[in-house]
Amino acid sequence: RYVRQLQRLQLLFSPTAADSRGARQFVEEAAVDFARQHPDVVLYVSPRTGPAPVLLAEYLNGTVREELIASKTSEEIKQLATKLAGQSGLDIIRIRKPFHTDNPSVQGQWHPLTNKPSALTVQGPRLQPQ
Amino acid sequence: VAKTSLTSPPWPEVKLPDPAEEAKYHAEVVQKVNKMIATGQYGRLFAVVHFASKQWKITSEDLIMMDNVLEAECGDRIRMEKVLLVGADDFTLIGRPLLGKDLVRVEATVIEKTESWPKINMRFWRRHNYQRKKIIVNPQTVLRINTIEIFPCLS
Repeated sequence: RYVRQLQRLQLLFSPTAADSRGARQFVEEAAVDFARQHPDVVLYVSPRTGPAPVLLAEYLNGTVREELIASKTSEEIKQLATKLAGQSGLDIIRIRKPFHTDNPSVQGQWHPLTNKPSALTVQGPRLQPQ
Repeated sequence: VAKTSLTSPPWPEVKLPDPAEEAKYHAEVVQKVNKMIATGQYGRLFAVVHFASKQWKITSEDLIMMDNVLEAECGDRIRMEKVLLVGADDFTLIGRPLLGKDLVRVEATVIEKTESWPKINMRFWRRHNYQRKKIIVNPQTVLRINTIEIFPCLS
């Protein structure tokens, strides 16, 4: 019952530039292994003569993350790709609580009057038991 | 001897019940709880689990995030041991300090392995021309608790 949050990974690099050497090596060697290991992620490889090689990750909630892969070895790109595959599309900001429940209390939430005897049976100087 | 304000302690005196009677009462309560578990009369179960050096109070279908890396891949089912407390609407089972593994079963799935937001670690001394800035990113794992089950094998 687990759905991977990564929809597709687009690898955009240029076949001649020097800084996309790692991307080219990754495509030659490790791209097929990566695609086999993550069968529910679609991997698009498109060579283009753009400014810099980029790894685009799109998630199921629509967020798009770009990571530069200029001058990185193919192993680093593989680690980056696995890290992106494990993430979900939520923004990486400070999370206030490391837990989240929909049903926080099972036996009833505590309020200051639990576990106290009721006022009807208290014997005090003024209150008489009824 | 005359009774002064210091003859008896200020707290109310508690009389302990007879040990044989108490043992019978305990056995009765245990049988009742066992029957309740066997027939399945409990609603939602919550548990207190010791995990990643922290104690969490968890119910089914809730999210937990830890600041470390687990050796399981995304989508793996994990069974949590070290359960300290299990409770339902009418009864609770308290362990000393842990409950048996044949009593409780807590299952969770690894959903996500991300990194935290970039935290800034900066040191600065005034008038000494000393400042160091470092950005720390921790790997995090997000788990979702699938089920908490109990089995009627008390004694």
